[in-house]
Amino acid sequence: MKKRIRFGIPLAVIVGAALVVVGVATATSSRSHSASVLPTSSCAKLQYGGSGSPQYIIPSDLPLQGSSRTQTVEMTKAIAYTFKQAGYKAGKYTVGYQSCDDSTAQAGKWDPAKCAANVGNYVRDKSVIGVIGTFNSGCVELEIPIANRASLGYASPANTYDGLTQVQPGVTSAGEPGKYYPTGKRNYVRVVAADINQGTADAILLKQKKITSVYILNDKEAYGLGVANDMRNGSKANGLKIAGFAAWDPKAASYQDLATKIQSSGAKAVYLGGLECENGGKLIKDLRAGLGASFLMEAPDGFSSFKDTVAHAGDASAGMIISIAGQPFAKLGKSGKAFAAAFGKSIGLKAKDVNPYSNYAATAALTMLKAVANSDGTRASVTANLFKTSFADSPIGAFKLNKNGDTNAAPISFYTIKGGQAVFTTLINPAKK
Amino acid sequence: MTSAASTETIVRARRRVNGIAPIIGLGLVGLLVVWLAVNFEKAPALFVKALLIGITNGSVYALVALGYTLVYGILELINFAHGDVFMLGGMMSATLMLSVFHIGSGESALSLWPALLASLAISMVFCGILNASIEKVAYRPLRRAPRVAPLITAIAMSFILQNVAIAWKGPNYISLPINILPHGVVFSIGRNTYTWDALIVVLLTAPVLVALVWLVQYTKQGKAMRATAQDREAAAMMGIDVNRTISFTFLIAGGLAGAAGLIYSVYFTSIRFDQGFQLGLFAFTAAVLGGIGNLPGAVLGALFIGLTQSFNNTLGWHAPGSDWTQSIVFSILILILVFRPEGILGERTPEGG
Amino acid sequence: MGSELWRRIFALPGAARWAVLARVGVTEDAWKAWPVMYRRAVVAVLVGLVALVVLAPFSGIDLAAVYTWIVFAVLFVPPWERIPRVGKFIPALGMLAVVVAYPYYADKLYTLPILGAFPDVHTGVVMLIYAMMALGLNVVVGYAGLLDLGYVAFYAIGAYSAAWFASQQFAGQNPDGSAKHSFHFLAIGIDPTLGGIHLTPWLLLVVGGVFAALIGMLIGLPTLRLRGDYLAIVTLGFGEILPQVARNGDSLFGQNITNGPQGIVPLDTLGFGNTLHRVLGLPANYQIAPNGDSLYFWTAIVLVLITLFCSLRLRASRLGRAWVAIREDETAASAMGIPLMRTKTLAYAIGAFFGGVAGAYFAIFTSSANPDSFQLNFSVFVLVMVILGGMGNVWGVLVGAAFLAYLDQAGLANTGAWLSDHLGLNLDVPKYEFGIYGVMLLVMMLFRPHGLIPEARRKMEFEHGVHDEPLYDEMGDDAHVAGASH
Repeated sequence: MKKRIRFGIPLAVIVGAALVVVGVATATSSRSHSASVLPTSSCAKLQYGGSGSPQYIIPSDLPLQGSSRTQTVEMTKAIAYTFKQAGYKAGKYTVGYQSCDDSTAQAGKWDPAKCAANVGNYVRDKSVIGVIGTFNSGCVELEIPIANRASLGYASPANTYDGLTQVQPGVTSAGEPGKYYPTGKRNYVRVVAADINQGTADAILLKQKKITSVYILNDKEAYGLGVANDMRNGSKANGLKIAGFAAWDPKAASYQDLATKIQSSGAKAVYLGGLECENGGKLIKDLRAGLGASFLMEAPDGFSSFKDTVAHAGDASAGMIISIAGQPFAKLGKSGKAFAAAFGKSIGLKAKDVNPYSNYAATAALTMLKAVANSDGTRASVTANLFKTSFADSPIGAFKLNKNGDTNAAPISFYTIKGGQAVFTTLINPAKK
Repeated sequence: MTSAASTETIVRARRRVNGIAPIIGLGLVGLLVVWLAVNFEKAPALFVKALLIGITNGSVYALVALGYTLVYGILELINFAHGDVFMLGGMMSATLMLSVFHIGSGESALSLWPALLASLAISMVFCGILNASIEKVAYRPLRRAPRVAPLITAIAMSFILQNVAIAWKGPNYISLPINILPHGVVFSIGRNTYTWDALIVVLLTAPVLVALVWLVQYTKQGKAMRATAQDREAAAMMGIDVNRTISFTFLIAGGLAGAAGLIYSVYFTSIRFDQGFQLGLFAFTAAVLGGIGNLPGAVLGALFIGLTQSFNNTLGWHAPGSDWTQSIVFSILILILVFRPEGILGERTPEGG
Repeated sequence: MGSELWRRIFALPGAARWAVLARVGVTEDAWKAWPVMYRRAVVAVLVGLVALVVLAPFSGIDLAAVYTWIVFAVLFVPPWERIPRVGKFIPALGMLAVVVAYPYYADKLYTLPILGAFPDVHTGVVMLIYAMMALGLNVVVGYAGLLDLGYVAFYAIGAYSAAWFASQQFAGQNPDGSAKHSFHFLAIGIDPTLGGIHLTPWLLLVVGGVFAALIGMLIGLPTLRLRGDYLAIVTLGFGEILPQVARNGDSLFGQNITNGPQGIVPLDTLGFGNTLHRVLGLPANYQIAPNGDSLYFWTAIVLVLITLFCSLRLRASRLGRAWVAIREDETAASAMGIPLMRTKTLAYAIGAFFGGVAGAYFAIFTSSANPDSFQLNFSVFVLVMVILGGMGNVWGVLVGAAFLAYLDQAGLANTGAWLSDHLGLNLDVPKYEFGIYGVMLLVMMLFRPHGLIPEARRKMEFEHGVHDEPLYDEMGDDAHVAGASH
C-alpha cells in the first residue's frame, strides 16, 4: 500500500515565500556595505566625529572583562579622548576608533580564541589601518604573527614581555622574538618599556639600599613569571644573591609557610613578581607577619594600583616599595600633565587619580595617529612609520622608538607606602646606566 | 541481584588491587618518613614551625571536611556545593565583623568576643539553613534518579553559589584587618613563636568534633542519622522520618561550614568567591583520606593535608615547593581512591555498616 | 532522522491534549485523516507564529528568524522520508548544505532579538570545535554513563601535542643564537630551515587524538573500577593536576617542556601546500588565504561529521549496546558477559580521542597552547553542553554545544549590551556566565533531565530509575538502590 507523496501546493507556497524574502533581504542588506565597521560580537560601536564615514578604522584590542576591567575601560576612554582631540584626523586622512574586546566571560581575562578572532577581523577588514593593543603579552603573541603577514602594524600601550621584541637569556625562550614575525619584517612597537628595564631598576634600587640577597616570588602567570625572571637577571647583574625563587598560589589560604621559608633562606628582601589581584594583599600581610615590620618588600607595577594594595594589605603594606614604569605625575612633562587634567576632567576624575596606563594608552593612540598621518595610506607604510616614532613630549614624556620597536625612555619611578599613601621616592633609568 | 560470574571478576579485580596497594603504600610511607626525618635533622626550627602551621591550617580544613563526611555518610553524595557554602559563611562573617560590629585590629577582648560569638552563631545558622535548602531544592527530587544526576546538580549549586558571591561582593578578594584575633605569644620554641590566634583555631575545632561525635553516637537524632545512613528504607519502616533526618544532617554540616567560614575569615583575613571550591576539594581529599563517613578520620585526614601543604611549602630538602602543592594533594586523593577507597582508618562503609 | 527529529521537536499532541483540541473542533480522527504534509505545515505555521509573538516585541519581525523558519519548513514539512532509499537523507543533507554555505551568507543575516548578531565564521569554527568535544564527552557521559569532570585534560593533551610538533618549542639554541634542532615533515608555510619539530598539522590532529586516548586509557585502567562518584572525583583531580603541570612545565627536571605560563606560540598552520594547490586547487595555506576562517570552518565541519559518524555507528554497535547496558545496570551487564573494564576503558579512550583531536585543532586554529585555557570551568562548560542537549543523543548534544559556544563567545556579551540599551540595566551579564550555566544545569536536571532533545532510552531511565550501583560496593548498599529502581 504505497502512499501518495504530495508535495504540491504547500511546497510551492513555501519556496515562493522564501524567494520573496531573500529578495527583500538582499535588497535591504546591500545598504550596510559602505561602512566596514568591525563586528559587534567583539567590538563596540564606531566612534567618529567627522561627517560621513571615516576612511580608516583604528581598533584597540584590550580585555574588557574580568579583573583588569577598571583599568582597561579607562584606557579605551583615553584612546577615544585622544581621537576626539585629534578631530578624528590623522594628517590628511579621516580615522574612526573602535574598541574591541579580547576577553571572554568564561575565562575572565584574555582568551586565545577571541584574540585570534579579533586579528582575523582586523586583517580582513581593509579599512583597518593599524591596531592599538594589546594589554596582555600572551594575546599579542597570537595576533602579531597573523597581522605580520598582512603588514598590519600594532602599537601597544601595555605589553611588557621582553620576548616580543628582544632576546633576554633566562627570560625569553628559543626562537623569540623572530617567531612572531614570520615574514622577517617587524610590525609591532610598544610605548611602554619592556620588563627587563623594570627588573634591572628594581635590582639597582635594592643594591642602593645595601641589600645583599633577595628572595624572588612570582604568581605563575605570564606577566609575573616574566618580570620575576627579569628581576633575577637584574639581581645577578648587580651582584645580588638570589636566596630563592618560588611561586605563590593565588588560591592558597595562607602564606605563613612561604614567609617561614623566606625567613630561613637568609634573604634580606623579598620581591613580589606578579599581580596584586592574585591575592597580593594576603601575601603582603602574611609576609609582614612572618618576616617582621622592617623587612624590605618590593613589587613591580603589578601592584601599582596603590589603593587596592593598601586596602587589601592594610598596615602590612607600610614600608613596601613599588616600582612603576614611567614618570611620576609630578615629574610629567607639560603634555602629560595637561592630558591627565583634561582627560581626568572628561571622565570625572582628578588628574592625579588618572590611571598611569591611560597615559600610555593615549600615547599609543598618538603614535598610531602620527604613523598614519605620515603614511601613504597603506598598512605597510603605516607599519614602517611606527618605527620612526619620536616624540619631544607626549602624555608619558619624550621618547623615541628603536628598530626593535622598543622605547628609549625607560624611567622607573619608585614609591614607598607610608601611612596608607604611596610616596614617590626616586627615579631610576636603567637604560642610561 | 548479584550473579556468580560478575562477583568473581570483581572479587578478582579487588584482590589484585589489594595485592599491590600495601606495597606501594608502605613504600610511599617509608619515603615520606625518611624525607621528614632528613628535613628535621637539617633544619629543626623550620620543621617545628611548619608543623605548627600545618596543624592550624589542618584544623580549618577539618571543620569543612566534617561537613563533607557527614553528608556523604548519609546520602553517599559528594556535596560539591559544601565548599561554597563555607565560602559564603566566610563572607557573611566578614561582613558581620566589619560592617555590623565594626571590629578592627587589636580590639579589646570585651568588644571582640561578643562580636565573634554573635557572628559565629549567625554564620552557622545562615549556612545551616542554606545547606538544608540546597538539599531540598537540588538533591531531594533526584533521589530516584541515576547517581550522576545529584552530582551534576551539586556542581550546578556550587557555580550558582559562587556567582551569588560575585554578585554580592564582586570578583576580588575581600580583606579583613590582620589582628582581629589576639596575637600574643602562647609559647615559643627557639625562634619560633606560637600565637594565640592559631591556638584559638585549634581550640575551636576540638570541641566541635567532640560535640559532633557525641551527637552522632549518643543522641536519638544521631541514632536516626546512623540508621538512615545504613538503610533508608528500613529506617523509614522503623518510624524514622528519613527526610527530616537528612535535612538535619545538612543543617549540621552547613553549621560546621559556617563555623569554618568565620574562623577562616578572621584567621586568614582574606577570602574570594572561588576559594571555597578549592578548599572544599582539599577538605574532601581529607575526608576521603580518613575514610569517608568517618568523623575522627576526617579530622586526621585534614591534619594530614594541612601538614602536607605546610611541609611541602616550607621545607628545603627535596621538597617540590609551593608550585606543586595542588598537584600533590590531588595525587594523594587519586592514589587513595584507587588503592584504598576506604581511607586510612579502614572501615569499609560509613558508620561501620 | 527527519521524521524522528520532527516528532521530538514539535511534540505532536498526546492523548491528554486531544481533549482540549476537540473543543476547538479538531478531533484526533479528523487530524489524522489529513495528509501528513498539511499536518506538518499547520504545526510549522503555528510554531512560527508562537515564535513571532514571543520575539516580535523585542526586535520587530526579524528576517533571520523568518529564513530559519522557512529553511526548516522546507526541510521538514514535506514527507521526504517516503522517497525510497535517498529520501531519509534529504533533511539531513539539506541541513548540512545550510551549514556548509554559512560563510557565504553569515554577514547578510539580521540580528537576533536579545542575543544579537548571528555568529561570524570565526565563532562558527569555535562552535564546531566545542561541538566535537561535546560529542566526545557524550560518549563517556551519555553513552557509558561515566561522569568525567576532567575532560579538559584530554583537550589540553591534544593541544600540547599539536604545539610540540608544530612549533619552535624544541628548537634548542646554539651559542650564536641559531636553532640547534630542526625536523620538518610536510609542514607548509614556514621557512624550511626554521628550528624545532614541524610535522604537518594534519598528522598532528591524529597524533593529538591518539596521545589523549593513550593517556585516557592510562588514567582509566586504575580508576574505572571505582564507583561513579569516585570516578568523577578522580577525573576532577586529574583535571586540576594537568594545568598545574602545564604551568610548571617550563622547568620540569630542568627541561622546558610546555614553556610554562607563556604557553607555546605560534603554531604552524593548516594547508595543502603549493603542489596540491597547483594540481587540485586546494588551499595552500589557511592562514594567509583571504577566506582563512571559512577554510577552518569547512575543515571543522569535516571533523565534526567524522565524529558524528563514529558516534552514531558506535551507538548502534555491539560496543554501544554494551555501554548502555553498563549504564543501566552494571551487575546485570557483567552477568551477561560484558567485560566491564574493557568496555568502560574503551568509552573513556574514545571520548578522550575526540577531545584530543578537538584540542589539537583548536590549538592549530588559534595558533597557541596555553595553560590558562585548561581550567575546571571548561570541563563543566562542556558537560553543560552535553546535558542541555540531551545525554546520549548526538543531535541534542550538537545543538547544545553550538548554542553554549555561541553564548560564551558572543551571545552573553550581546545580551548584556541589549539589556543596557533597552532596559537601562547596567548588568555585566558575562560576569555571571557560570551562574547562568549552573541554573541551566539545575533546571535541566530537575525538570528535564533527559535534555532538550532526549534520547528515548535515557528518558526512560530518568523516568523509571536504573540500577547503577556498582557491585564492588558489596556491603549491602542495595537497600537504598531498591528505592531507586521502580
